[in-house]
Amino acid sequence: MTNDQRLLCDPPPLPGIFITEMTRTLTTVAMQLADADAVVSRAQRGDPVALEKLYRAYAPATYNLARRICRTTEDAEDVLQETFYEVCRSIRNYRGEGSIWSWIRTVASSKALMRLRRNKYRDTDELNDELAPARHASPALRLDLEAALDRLSPTARAVVWLHDVEGFTHEEIANQMGKSVSFSKSQLARAHQRLRLWLDGGVA
Amino acid sequence: MSQEHLSMELLLAVRDGERSEPEQVAAHAHVASCEACRSELDRLHQRTAMLRALPTLTPARSAFPAVQRQMADDLRHRWQRRFAIGGLAAAAALAIAVVGNDLAHPAELDASEQLETAMTRSEVLERALNAWRPETRAMDAHTAEIVIELEDRIADVDGRLERARRLAEQVELWQERVGLMSALVDVHLTKATNVGL
Repeated sequence: MTNDQRLLCDPPPLPGIFITEMTRTLTTVAMQLADADAVVSRAQRGDPVALEKLYRAYAPATYNLARRICRTTEDAEDVLQETFYEVCRSIRNYRGEGSIWSWIRTVASSKALMRLRRNKYRDTDELNDELAPARHASPALRLDLEAALDRLSPTARAVVWLHDVEGFTHEEIANQMGKSVSFSKSQLARAHQRLRLWLDGGVA
Repeated sequence: MSQEHLSMELLLAVRDGERSEPEQVAAHAHVASCEACRSELDRLHQRTAMLRALPTLTPARSAFPAVQRQMADDLRHRWQRRFAIGGLAAAAALAIAVVGNDLAHPAELDASEQLETAMTRSEVLERALNAWRPETRAMDAHTAEIVIELEDRIADVDGRLERARRLAEQVELWQERVGLMSALVDVHLTKATNVGL
């Protein structure tokens, strides 16, 4: 990749407030355990203190992921509990390929997507629907990002969050959703068209 | 490509540095020469940065106590299964011990003592099997066939016992019953030990 080409892919300079917010958020998400290997090793031997230490270190990021994907706080709390129950039961199977957070994050996203599928059947809500029921007065109204994200369909919101924020690849998302890579890509593109329209007032 | 602006899918491909398709390679070149698309790409980058900058949402309460309860329940169930298997094994061992003793000293027992011993052994094995509740355990077709065969033969012995009047005949039937019950316990015990159910 040449320098010119790299420039196209690199993000433009951001206003100061974004940089501050990003630093804060990334610091929180990246709150890795300084002695992660030792804690994981103890947790694999069934040490309850080590398991609780893992929970304390990664529960906020896990809950955040779950809450961004799930519709309600109750669902997100269930996903958090299910994730760490799975982590406690299966930590022996973690082989150290990738960081412990990558492993926990994959468990969490799988549980959250499972919850979406369950709710889909319960609510007779199409998984690939265009939009969630409108919760705001006018689509022309400029929305803040939280509200715009909330207004996306559950699937589109999950794809945006998993790909753009959590860093999952389209292959990983497709695999977890039981869909194709092109499905994941088109969901991401549609989601960004919607966000573009709602946030910047452009053409969807 | 140079006349039309990029679709969101291609803008995303440019943002993510994808170049596996010719269309994506052309999209990179297009952005370099199209101010409108470059501006869209900047917006896309900003939107992505804003998404990543959203505050971390935190749970109202810790889920760890609930996780600990689930783990404790798991542990309790595992122990219950182990004790159940242990109980079945102990009953089998007890019955074998009694059988062994009888076989070692058959002449020392008269017919009524032999009858009483056989009935006791049968009861020990039956109690263990009832406590094990085999009807609640999953089993493969082959094991199920053996179990059904043994249970049919036990039912047949029970029918003959109801009609048996002579002491010697009763002793023989009760001992046959103990043999069949032991075999039944062995089948369940082997399965439980191998499968962990």
